Amino acid sequence: MKILIIEDEQGLRESIEEYFTEAGNICETASDYQTALTKVNLYRYDCILLDITLPGGDGISLLKNIKENNYTDGILIISAKNSLDDRLEGLDLGADDYLVKPFHLSELKARVTAIIRRKSYNGSNLLTFNEITIDLLGKEVKVGKQSVKFTRKEYALLLYFIANKGKVISKNAIAEHLWGDGVDMADNFDFIYSHIKNIRKKLIEAGSRDYIQAAYGMGYKFTEA
Amino acid sequence: MKLLDRYNRVTLITTVIVMMITGIIYYQTISWILTNQIDKDLVVEENEVFDYVKLNHHLPQVFESDDQQISFYPAANGSTLREFINTDYYNSNQKKYESGRGLISSVAVKGKYYKILVVESKVETEELIRIIFFITIGVILLLLVVLLIINRLLLNRLWQPFYMIMRDLKLFNVTDTTDLQKVYSHIDEFEELNTAVISMASRVKHDYKNLKTFSENASHELLTPIAVINSKLDTLIQTENFSERQSKLLNDLYTAVNRLNRLNQSLLLLVKIENRLEHAKETINLQALITEMIVQFDEIFQDKNLRITSELNSKEIYASRYLADILLNNLISNAIRHNSSDGEIKIHLTEESLTISNTGENIALPDDDIFKRFHKSSSSEGSGLGLTISRQICENFNFSLCYKFQQPYHTFIIKF
Repeated sequence: MKILIIEDEQGLRESIEEYFTEAGNICETASDYQTALTKVNLYRYDCILLDITLPGGDGISLLKNIKENNYTDGILIISAKNSLDDRLEGLDLGADDYLVKPFHLSELKARVTAIIRRKSYNGSNLLTFNEITIDLLGKEVKVGKQSVKFTRKEYALLLYFIANKGKVISKNAIAEHLWGDGVDMADNFDFIYSHIKNIRKKLIEAGSRDYIQAAYGMGYKFTEA
Repeated sequence: MKLLDRYNRVTLITTVIVMMITGIIYYQTISWILTNQIDKDLVVEENEVFDYVKLNHHLPQVFESDDQQISFYPAANGSTLREFINTDYYNSNQKKYESGRGLISSVAVKGKYYKILVVESKVETEELIRIIFFITIGVILLLLVVLLIINRLLLNRLWQPFYMIMRDLKLFNVTDTTDLQKVYSHIDEFEELNTAVISMASRVKHDYKNLKTFSENASHELLTPIAVINSKLDTLIQTENFSERQSKLLNDLYTAVNRLNRLNQSLLLLVKIENRLEHAKETINLQALITEMIVQFDEIFQDKNLRITSELNSKEIYASRYLADILLNNLISNAIRHNSSDGEIKIHLTEESLTISNTGENIALPDDDIFKRFHKSSSSEGSGLGLTISRQICENFNFSLCYKFQQPYHTFIIKF
């Protein structure tokens, strides 16, 4: 997939670029309004990560520009402004999602993956990872032909893992993904452990290989290797 | 004591004393003048007697008169000293003694020596003095009453602007966006006071706003570095091959950044609530919202072995869902975080109030302090802003939030 990262903060831009750059992905970056505008008008992307506050211009007007030209790129706004109004304005103008800084890269990846998946919707709502098939509409997981029952959180976690396959996801990121911003579960990593234990158990019992690895006590990694 | 009362008291006492002194002087003067007048009458009478004796060489005949009596007494030669005396006067009409003024003198008739006593009644004089005295008292009383009424009416009216300024000051709130109203007065002092108060208020508000803007900006500026640290950590853990020690350090870093982030988010939220940035209001079914939240927390209740009992009546409020979420989340999280193991949480929702009680340490919390910023128990992992935020939200909703300790329950009560 092809991704444009529009972000003026160098540190953040580089981290995102590094995280997204892997086999099959092309990442381009823009650090100011003019560069972003030029790139947006020249090339098409699967997803554009758009920072609202940019030197030389406003992310919102970039968004308007994209929508006026009927470009179909997926757009994810990343903003430091955590207000309902900003969020609603962004979504009303046609952004696909809105993520508030600071965020975990794994969360960003999961959101981008979801946007691209929705954009490239071609009659099938099936997500396949080796022998695991997930029906995104019915929220149903199958290993081979055998269906596996997951709880809501386990299902969300599995999707999160697959979107971030090959990456180490920190326990903090997992906690935030599962519990959202409102709940401070910093001291409740035990839940994550038991959720992951359940997912592994259910997948293996259904005949899947064991894809989830613990990573040095810091987090987990969903990997084929 | 009110200024008006104080002022009245002083003026009244002074007026009464001055009036009394004036009254005494007045009485004495009039008394002296009138006595003098009588004395002159007496001397005229004496002279008449002398003239008569000189002309006729015998004592005049004594006539009954209404207000004057003359009597002659034979006396030893040279025994009488001429003097004025206060004496009694026998009123033969009314057959009683009255106070009178007399003149003792002497005359020699054909070698015989006589003492003369002329007495004049002082009744009419005293009557006059009495009338004058009562008129004076009446005038004094009237003056006092008039003074009192005028003071009360006039001063009350005059001080009206002052009381209005006072009221404004009492209601003054730095977070209010409206400016103080100008109070119109014709009195220079009040006009000045008013101007001073208004300019002070706007200065205070301005400073407060600056401070708020500063903390908002500071929190905002912190977001970017936090975001960078967070993303760099996420990137760092992808590099793999960590020793146990390194991964422990990384975990600690994650925890610290997470806390920093939460703290910052809380500060931003607090500023936002204090600024009363209106969030879209909607009708919220609290019963449903709490039920939903209990389900959400279910795992944690089970994990900590907490027993939760809830008695929820139907209650709807019209408020921001975003803030209501945060409020309930904060209170329930607190009830969990500060609970003892195998403890209990009780949630009770009625038409008037929402009560969340939890077991925990068996000591009451300091009532005043817990709602202050950054007050927290040493064991707490929280930001120290949770209850401050909760109370702010309640104020925003026009609810009240208070804490009570009824053994063994720590109870937070929201009154709608």
